Amino acid sequence: MTYFLLKMSATLCLKLQRNQGWLPLIQSVRHGSKAVTRHKKPLHFLKQKLIAVTRYIPPARTIPPGVYTSEKKHVQEDNEFILLLKKKLEEVFEECKMIGVVQTNPCGVDDMLMLRHRLGKHDIKIKFFPNQVMLSFLSNSVYSNMAPLFIGPTVLFVSKEPKVKEMLSALRVSPQMTLLGACIDNTLLSAQGVVRYSKLPSLTVVQGELVSGLTMLTSRTAFMLQHHPAHLSALLQQYIKQQSPDGGAEATPKGEEAS
Amino acid sequence: MAATSKSTVLLKAVKKITIQFCPFESNVRSTREFLALVGSAKARSTNMNCEVISVVKHDKSEPVIDITYVDGERLVMKGERLTCREMLSAFQSRCKDKDPQNSIASKR
Repeated sequence: MTYFLLKMSATLCLKLQRNQGWLPLIQSVRHGSKAVTRHKKPLHFLKQKLIAVTRYIPPARTIPPGVYTSEKKHVQEDNEFILLLKKKLEEVFEECKMIGVVQTNPCGVDDMLMLRHRLGKHDIKIKFFPNQVMLSFLSNSVYSNMAPLFIGPTVLFVSKEPKVKEMLSALRVSPQMTLLGACIDNTLLSAQGVVRYSKLPSLTVVQGELVSGLTMLTSRTAFMLQHHPAHLSALLQQYIKQQSPDGGAEATPKGEEAS
Repeated sequence: MAATSKSTVLLKAVKKITIQFCPFESNVRSTREFLALVGSAKARSTNMNCEVISVVKHDKSEPVIDITYVDGERLVMKGERLTCREMLSAFQSRCKDKDPQNSIASKR
């Protein structure tokens, strides 16, 4: 009872004292609360609505680039050994006119030696580069279309001159090698293309055929222009010969008669 | 990379294996790995009479593996959507089925 009166007086006094600038004597904490406050008191519906409407939505901040380090930086680290291999690859591609890509199934050492010997006679070298290095090199260079060839165990047959027939014959003998494709004179060829290339005649023959084909027309026109006067001159010569043997034939029998 | 559960590839019951593919396609990886496994020296040593023929084409055809067994049965695998392991397991299971039959028959 007294507590209630105190509270009453306190609320009344609060209002009086606020006006005069005095500090409050009693501050009621549990104003308007029920006895049990262990659970959250259900909000009044209007208050709930108000809170839902005026809820704070933080502004969507874009992540500035460079805040999170990307993983690509790790991949770009190139080993010195890989750089050396790439340099070698560059040299190979510059020097050699013919580069054949062959899938080798793991075969015995003897077969490899025989093959190397057979190819070495024609100055064809067998080179091996790891596929990763090969693919990274090819993607940076002009020869990027060769990239899908380099899957699995592959080996390069390299030579400065395009000696395709010898390469094909050596590959035919060894069963575990399959020719996948070749880059001859900076042109990418498939296996069938390589076979067709080997069947081509040599350059001089082809040039001769080309020249003859081109000059055929001009020679034909020249022939047609010269045909009539040539025919006439031939006829005249024949006539002269007919005339002169008649004279000669008369002269020789006369000479025989005389002798 | 194709890691085989059993590293031995038995070719005793196999007469001929023909593998054809187009190397410029992108779906060829498993077929080429299968070729590498089957054409290896170990596999060949299990049966010297077995021919492993690889045909390289350039016509955008799908990769096909054609296996002819000694008793005339044919196993055709289209390697476009198969992994090397699946193809190898199918192949080896069939080889085992045929090989124990042969070995049991020979023992008896």
